[in-house]
Amino acid sequence: MEVEVDENNAPELYVRTPEDVRIIVKHAKLDERQLTQVTQALVYPSANIVADNLRLLELDSHMLEQIREGQTLHFKGGLHEKVVLCTDEKTYDVKGAEISNSLLLVPDLKFAAATSTSPLKSPRSGNANASLERSLNDSTEDELEVPRTLEQRQVLTVFHEYYECREIRPRYRKLGELLQLTRYSGPENEYCIEKKLLFNFQQLLDTVQCSRLQFMDGLRQYRALEFDGHLRVLEYEYEYRIVNLMLGLISENSWALDEVDRSETIQALDGIAPESIVSGLFDIYTVSSDRCPDKYSYQESLVARIVAQNILQPGLRFRNEEFMRTWQEALPEGMSCQLEYLSGIGIYDKEGAQPCIRSLAEEQLPTNINDRMRTLFKTKRKWTLEEMEPYIDCFTTPTLSVSMLLAKYARSLTEGGIRYYVSKH
Amino acid sequence: MPILVKTSSSGPGEWAIIELQGDLEVRSNQDMHDQFIGDLYYNKYGQPILIIGHHILQGREQKLEKPFAVLEKSKTNEGQRLLDASQATLDASCLNATSGGGERTVLDQTIAQEHKSRQRTEYTVRAICSKKLIFKSRPKPIIANVAKSV
Repeated sequence: MEVEVDENNAPELYVRTPEDVRIIVKHAKLDERQLTQVTQALVYPSANIVADNLRLLELDSHMLEQIREGQTLHFKGGLHEKVVLCTDEKTYDVKGAEISNSLLLVPDLKFAAATSTSPLKSPRSGNANASLERSLNDSTEDELEVPRTLEQRQVLTVFHEYYECREIRPRYRKLGELLQLTRYSGPENEYCIEKKLLFNFQQLLDTVQCSRLQFMDGLRQYRALEFDGHLRVLEYEYEYRIVNLMLGLISENSWALDEVDRSETIQALDGIAPESIVSGLFDIYTVSSDRCPDKYSYQESLVARIVAQNILQPGLRFRNEEFMRTWQEALPEGMSCQLEYLSGIGIYDKEGAQPCIRSLAEEQLPTNINDRMRTLFKTKRKWTLEEMEPYIDCFTTPTLSVSMLLAKYARSLTEGGIRYYVSKH
Repeated sequence: MPILVKTSSSGPGEWAIIELQGDLEVRSNQDMHDQFIGDLYYNKYGQPILIIGHHILQGREQKLEKPFAVLEKSKTNEGQRLLDASQATLDASCLNATSGGGERTVLDQTIAQEHKSRQRTEYTVRAICSKKLIFKSRPKPIIANVAKSV
């Protein structure tokens, strides 16, 4: 006699019977009393079941939570972009992983606990206590009365592939590039703007590879505001001019730095710039005042940046003291300039005979890390980590820090107790 | 347009995964629909035992550290699948244009986006798999016909 399972080559459809199960358990030399009561017979799916549209997606705890809460996730990516998956908060890189093991997808499969009427034994307690073991064995004798049930389970499909996700930083570059195309510089210049390149909030959110919350952050970073239903960034000189006029109101009205009035500011610029531009800029540049209700104060870092950007035009360099003096003088009274505000706009270079500040705009650098490193080291021979950070930051991921990137793409050396990074070659 | 991954209104079900080393192979090209694969048992310690043909496999119940979501693609349109396409278009360097060529690529991308938006693909989370049965050990043969007298 051969093993029973071989007989299922019969032309008519074989249906597993409890009798078959009993026989195979005996052949396999399994002690039926040591098995739980339910046997699950696995079968291939019926012809009418379509499963080739199923995919496995590996989740981290955040994604799982979002799905359990009923949140919608988004795949995003243009034709030539690698697809990303976004929750409302986070962005993930999605990658297919092939495996040699087979993953059988079985809906409604019962796990061990669900197949036993008594609690499952833990392997340790069995050995530790012989008398307990005996009593448990006794109880299994009684359970012989409970008939074995046979249930059929369909294997919906077999996977050799799943998609794994890795959290990444939001990819803002496209947002910047798209906004760049239609910089606003006043109503008189709008005729030059290609209308097809104007985008509204939803259009940009749909194409930029980041989550909704990250997108809001990105808009703040690029200082984008809504004008005529489209998101726009301003030409630097124009932005500087308007902000400067707004700042002028502080001394004009003898306001303290933290009692700036929103409606008065907007009113004062009426006729000089469209209202939505002024109110948009106001909301970007100010925060609510801690001291005076309904009043605002300008953020020093943002004000100092736009002022510095105006002085430090691309390609220019200034003697250090000269630059700092000009910069400070251009700021409203009570605000002070600090080198850190130059992050991503300019660098402090003390290598030459004269320490100098020179323009180096992050957004103008190559987007490829190798090319960017080359450009950076051509601009300046040695850098500290803090100096490089604003230029390298966009390549970091949650698992790949700036110092790890520098370890890979640069050489480090220590001079006078300070660690510097220089070109590898 | 982004492709939505929706959760079903009733919440995702809980499905299971059985992981086997290697593959289930069928000898001939016969139609496998509704065909029997094997029996799954658990012993009193909760250890899963799978018997397929002449072979017995002993496995382990395991909680997945990273659970799987089972996504179902809605068939509203015949189009390329985004997930599959993702591998074909690893070429993300398109945006690596410097300011000069930048405009062109961005434009192309925008048009590409518009093309894509015509295709209504959608995924639904059918189920979550948070546990699996894994059979890592080699299958052992079952020898049925041992003479009792030996």
